[in-house]
Amino acid sequence: MRYTDPRLLDALASSYALGTLDGGARRRFVRLMRDRADVRDVVAHWEQRLGQLALSVPQRKPSPELWRAIAARTQPVDASRRAPQARPSRWTGWLRPAGFGFGGLVAGLIAASALFLTVPGIFITSDQLAMRSGERLPQSYVGVLTDAEGRGGLLVSSLRYGRTVTLKVLGATALPVSGDERLVLWAMPADAAPFAIGTVPANGAGTLTLPDTSEKLLSKVSRLVVTRERGDSPAMPSADVVLSGACAKLW
Amino acid sequence: MDASRTTRPSPRNDTQAGTDAILDRMNRNILMSLQELIAGAARGDHACFAQIYERTHMHLFGVAVRMLGNEQAAEDVLQEAYVSIWKNAGGYRSSVDGQEIQPITWLIAIVRNKALDALRARTRRRAHEQPRAADSDADDEADTTADPAPSAAHLFDQAMQALRIEGCMSALDGSFRQSLALAYYQGLSHTEVAAQMNAPLGTVKAWIRRGLDKLRACLGAQGVAP
Repeated sequence: MRYTDPRLLDALASSYALGTLDGGARRRFVRLMRDRADVRDVVAHWEQRLGQLALSVPQRKPSPELWRAIAARTQPVDASRRAPQARPSRWTGWLRPAGFGFGGLVAGLIAASALFLTVPGIFITSDQLAMRSGERLPQSYVGVLTDAEGRGGLLVSSLRYGRTVTLKVLGATALPVSGDERLVLWAMPADAAPFAIGTVPANGAGTLTLPDTSEKLLSKVSRLVVTRERGDSPAMPSADVVLSGACAKLW
Repeated sequence: MDASRTTRPSPRNDTQAGTDAILDRMNRNILMSLQELIAGAARGDHACFAQIYERTHMHLFGVAVRMLGNEQAAEDVLQEAYVSIWKNAGGYRSSVDGQEIQPITWLIAIVRNKALDALRARTRRRAHEQPRAADSDADDEADTTADPAPSAAHLFDQAMQALRIEGCMSALDGSFRQSLALAYYQGLSHTEVAAQMNAPLGTVKAWIRRGLDKLRACLGAQGVAP
């Protein structure tokens, strides 16, 4: 079966999320989700809708043994030595060279690219499939956006011929944004007007769908910026720049 | 107090400082949003993961018990679900195409998928065992819980009221809502819903499809989950 019809995909995604998609059809759909970010997005929207129905289910208390069993299977070995605090400090160590303006930006990009090459799974979970297939990284557009002080703020990546942009807010602190504002990611082409790519989450990770492939849209984009915006669909980026960085081709 | 500690550090204060650091950390975790805790778990911070469990396990256990009808089976499912949450915390996306994906709905989906796997495995096992032990229900896995569970239709109506879309959804015939509720809260397959409602399979499939479409429209109109 070809999965190009958006209505078919939507019907399958809703049945999958509800649980009525069964047997072989369910297994085929799970495989399709692994391969396609756009399918995962449709499913995420349905899970968000159907999840509202669970809010009326009465809470219940499981036995205390349940957490013990879960902790035994998840606790890092020798937890006292490898305290979780060690991780953020190692992470900030990576970012430390980024404290020196433009040089820091380049250093940050190199550091991020090096991390990409060694542990890609940390960064772009949705595109892991593409990486699993070969030893080389897939051709991608990548940006590491930092604030005015050169601190790492946002990792932006997109497969060269993909239509999905993966966003990951770096570090433990959320990006500064108040309730009536939103953070918008802009592409700044060298020879044309800036255009909005989409809304950036204040923390965690997110994805955005592009109207065309990255290759078409980003090949002449040299810089990416994130601005705080108040309007619904601003035509131009405001002067309130939160993050900026170079847009690099990873090939 | 902080000033004196920073200006005159002494070895005696180290233990106190260590305790303070742990307390600070615990306090910080308590103040963190579920979204931030998932991001922490994705970085390998087990304290964040423990806090996720603390905040969500009773709700998620309720969902699993409702689907499986049995506490032991629900605990097994929850154990698998939380291990999966720990391993896949990096896969949570807080926004998709600018739309927020609430962390709790992501967690619920993981639990429901594990529960559905367990339910389907149970159905397969029973179909296999039926010829030998058709009347042996001594170890029946369902309905061994003490308190009576509210019906799927009742839970559905409560959810509609809480979401303030009961008016919008009432445009649908009761059997549409009932079939959707059975599939969602009890994890029944199309065939099982058809058997329970004594209706043809094709009709039930159409009811559920219409129910889902209507739910999307009503939630969208309410601005809950477009």
